[in-house]
Amino acid sequence: MATKVRNVRPAVSSEARWWLWMRITGILMVVFVFPHVIIKDVIVGVHNIDLNYVAQVWANILWRVFDFLLLFTTFTHGMMGLRQVLMDYIHSATGRRTVTWVLGILWFVISLAGAIAIIGGVQQPGM
Amino acid sequence: MASRHPALEGYTRYRAVGQLAFLLHRITGLGILLFLVIHIIDTSFVYFAPELYDEAIQIYRSIPFMIGEIFLVWSVFYHGFNGIRIIIFDLWKPEWWEKDIAVKSVYWTLALSILAWLPAAYIMGRAIIENHFMGG
Repeated sequence: MATKVRNVRPAVSSEARWWLWMRITGILMVVFVFPHVIIKDVIVGVHNIDLNYVAQVWANILWRVFDFLLLFTTFTHGMMGLRQVLMDYIHSATGRRTVTWVLGILWFVISLAGAIAIIGGVQQPGM
Repeated sequence: MASRHPALEGYTRYRAVGQLAFLLHRITGLGILLFLVIHIIDTSFVYFAPELYDEAIQIYRSIPFMIGEIFLVWSVFYHGFNGIRIIIFDLWKPEWWEKDIAVKSVYWTLALSILAWLPAAYIMGRAIIENHFMGG
């Protein structure tokens, strides 16, 4: 029996859009995550990172924009990925809707905390 | 009946090694996400609780966390390289899923992630020794 690759063109479902967004955020992350990890974990090192270091880096607005895009692309990708994993184990419509909503709310709250910190900047202790 | 074993049609050589790539992608992804959630919260301390930020970073400076950091960096390299592989195949070269390159690319991805990681692991390992075993 000949084996052939089937050409299937399903209608664009919401799952197809989740699938595409995983790849779009994935491509964007390459630009932000690799430099972030190499600079912070390898070159600078955790022993040289403190409140003053963050204040110095964020004195440059471009690094704040960089960190904002890093936060947004990476955390969105991560939460969508977790959703995808959970969808492999949860099959009921109610369960799936609940997972999507709970992860969506967590995504919003944690992203908001990070975004406020980047926009608000480093505060001095005791002020 | 067309076939009693439809799952065995098509390109099957990718299955075993593809399963490994899939599993590593999930484990590294979930591990990175776990750290990411903690990391966003500790970083947001610079605004919400600046007096706690340096204390939070102090935890990352401990030996177990620094060893964990070395594995985190490999996870990021593997997940990133494997992700690029999946994106290239899915979006531009879907026919590659049906060819030997599907199998070979998994080994290439593993090899590249380890090669890129080794210098980083060396530098981070050296930082553990310098900061914890060479009082100065």
